[in-house]
Amino acid sequence: MADAPKPFSVDLTRRRFLQGSAAAGFAAFLAACTGTKTGSSAGPSTPAESGAAPSASSPASVEPSVAPTPKVVTGPLKFANWPAYIDLAGKAGDEGVYAPGSSPSLEEFKKQFKVDVDYEEKIGDNSAFVETIKPALVGGLATGWDLMVLTDWMASKIVANNWAEKIDQTNVPNCSANLRDALKNSSWDPNQDYHYPWQSGMTGVGFNAKTLKANNIPEPTKIADLWNIPADKVTFLSEARDTFGLVLLKLGVNADGATVTPEQLQQASDAIQPLVDGGLRFTGNEYLQDFGQKKVWAAFVWSGDLASSGGPDDKFIFPEEGTLIWTDNMLIPKGAANKYTAELMMNYVYDPKVAAQLEAYIYYVSPVKGADAELKKLDASTEGNPLLFPPADVIAKQHNFQALSDANEKILNDLYSKLSGT
Amino acid sequence: MTAATGTAPTGPTFRARFGRAVPYLLLAPGLLWLVIFYVIPAVQMFTYSISEGTLETGFSMTLSADAYATAIDRFGRQFLNSILYGGLATILTLAIGFPVAYTIAFRGGRYKNLILFLVIAPFFTSFLIRTISWKILLGDEGPLLAPLRHGLGLIDANIPLLGHAGLIDGRFSILNTAVAQVAGLTYNFLPFMILPLYVALEKIDVRLIEAAEDLYANRAAAFRRVTLPMALPGVFAGSLLTFIPAMGDYINAELLGNPSTRMIGNVIQNRLLVQNDYPVGSALSFMLMAAILVAVAVYARVLGTEQLTG
Repeated sequence: MADAPKPFSVDLTRRRFLQGSAAAGFAAFLAACTGTKTGSSAGPSTPAESGAAPSASSPASVEPSVAPTPKVVTGPLKFANWPAYIDLAGKAGDEGVYAPGSSPSLEEFKKQFKVDVDYEEKIGDNSAFVETIKPALVGGLATGWDLMVLTDWMASKIVANNWAEKIDQTNVPNCSANLRDALKNSSWDPNQDYHYPWQSGMTGVGFNAKTLKANNIPEPTKIADLWNIPADKVTFLSEARDTFGLVLLKLGVNADGATVTPEQLQQASDAIQPLVDGGLRFTGNEYLQDFGQKKVWAAFVWSGDLASSGGPDDKFIFPEEGTLIWTDNMLIPKGAANKYTAELMMNYVYDPKVAAQLEAYIYYVSPVKGADAELKKLDASTEGNPLLFPPADVIAKQHNFQALSDANEKILNDLYSKLSGT
Repeated sequence: MTAATGTAPTGPTFRARFGRAVPYLLLAPGLLWLVIFYVIPAVQMFTYSISEGTLETGFSMTLSADAYATAIDRFGRQFLNSILYGGLATILTLAIGFPVAYTIAFRGGRYKNLILFLVIAPFFTSFLIRTISWKILLGDEGPLLAPLRHGLGLIDANIPLLGHAGLIDGRFSILNTAVAQVAGLTYNFLPFMILPLYVALEKIDVRLIEAAEDLYANRAAAFRRVTLPMALPGVFAGSLLTFIPAMGDYINAELLGNPSTRMIGNVIQNRLLVQNDYPVGSALSFMLMAAILVAVAVYARVLGTEQLTG
């Protein structure tokens, strides 16, 4: 097994991840949320400007550098993303589900580069998606995807295992020029060798105002209020970090991935158990369908989803106890057949105009400098939208529950697996 | 070997030898298939179940039974769910399927083929899509509950008989309960019950039933003493074809159930594909296989094997 990929628990990587991620990641997100503008989107910058000198401690340093990608556009680009994460128009926009040809920004990309894009809303849950490609990654085979979007904690594992293709920075001048400074220098990929953020967002509480009213239940303002709704009408997230993080906040515990203790995780699990006994379910991004069919009255949800893809009565709140923050990142899985096209896509969405077009539909926090200004031009009503521009009191109560130690992650997975009955 | 050196492989020796080999040659493709796709994976799975490790780090055989201990300790409830829901679905398919098969076999007339076609027709759609469509049918605002809720006001009216049981109130729903799950299993496996039953009933010589009636058996007695025993091989085959896959099924539990109604198939799926826990997943698979073998053996014993093989 000498040539086996590094396990997730590589000490060096993990420790580095822990050291940096909590602090840096949190600060990064704060800045991203406040919409800090540290510079206008200047012309394409070279990788050297952003200080991309190869670092000896980089997780990738043991790997030979990649051969230059032939700059030939090949396709179709296989792009795996989460639901409610792309701009939609027409019928698909009404239904909130991507259908080929329904995304103006993707159509523009196709036209511009004369290449087909096979975009699929395939990721509802980090682990569930990665497990589908892991056998290929472990076996050194192509996964069938060219571009995928994964949350910090999972993205860091993909990079640590050397399961991502190194990005040719000369192909992504927009990215190096327009990435918000706050999102740079992540502990797990400080030089953006392998990833560029797609969106940042928050985990909070969503509910259907009409159904709650019909059943004489007051609208929740706190996480704790979900305990007063029939449990079989509530869903939590199968993304265990999100569910446990919010429940910790409900319990008054500081939901910080770096300081959480096994006892606190156990307490969170104990708090969820009565709801499970009452019929609580855990879902991935398919909670959107549950809201659509009025099957769920209230749920843990991600910030932009209900605004972009929910019905008129579906509301998102920042609960009083606080919210969780995270960033989802674009990665090119190892062995991708259309790597250059994937880089073109990364570069394309880092054009502030395209980024603004995405924001105007999906209501998440853009990692692209200059997207704010473009967004205001595009749609003045977005100004002051708390989902796009979280207010100071929301930011003050944001928590990062991404960076867990291996031991705690194991405990978390085990507790979650017990709760979810599998 | 003399025949082989000759120009033409003739002579009684070769023919006799070839003749004896024919059954084996005919069996060879099937045997090969079983060895490659059943025996080898089964051995592999057993090896995983007594090993430690993950897909990334590789596995090392420890010969420990820890995985089995964990499996029994933690997933007993899911095992029970499997037996309970799989068993219920089997009984329900039998209850629904027997009259259908009986009618097709004895009263089908010229519509026999049409009705049989209708029984199989759902199979032209994928299993997954059929199950997902149950989500829509059974949803709170679906075609079943929405009229009850809004049109008749039954559910909100809190009618005395059902209301006090706490079953029927504003939040009454069927989806994501054990009821929906068993209904889904019953629906999905119904044709597996009807077809073997039909084959068994179809073979029955109607004159035997007439003879029973001639011998002063009333219709119920004739059914009990003649039709039913002769239909037993169909009941046996049908219930095996239903119970075994229903017990291992995870789609219905995943789509129509909730965390408390998960079955052993869900645990195996989750262990192997999400938790990356091959040892426990393999141990569970092995135990499921053993449990089914025991159940089938007992069942065959109770019904009597001679009768079953005809």
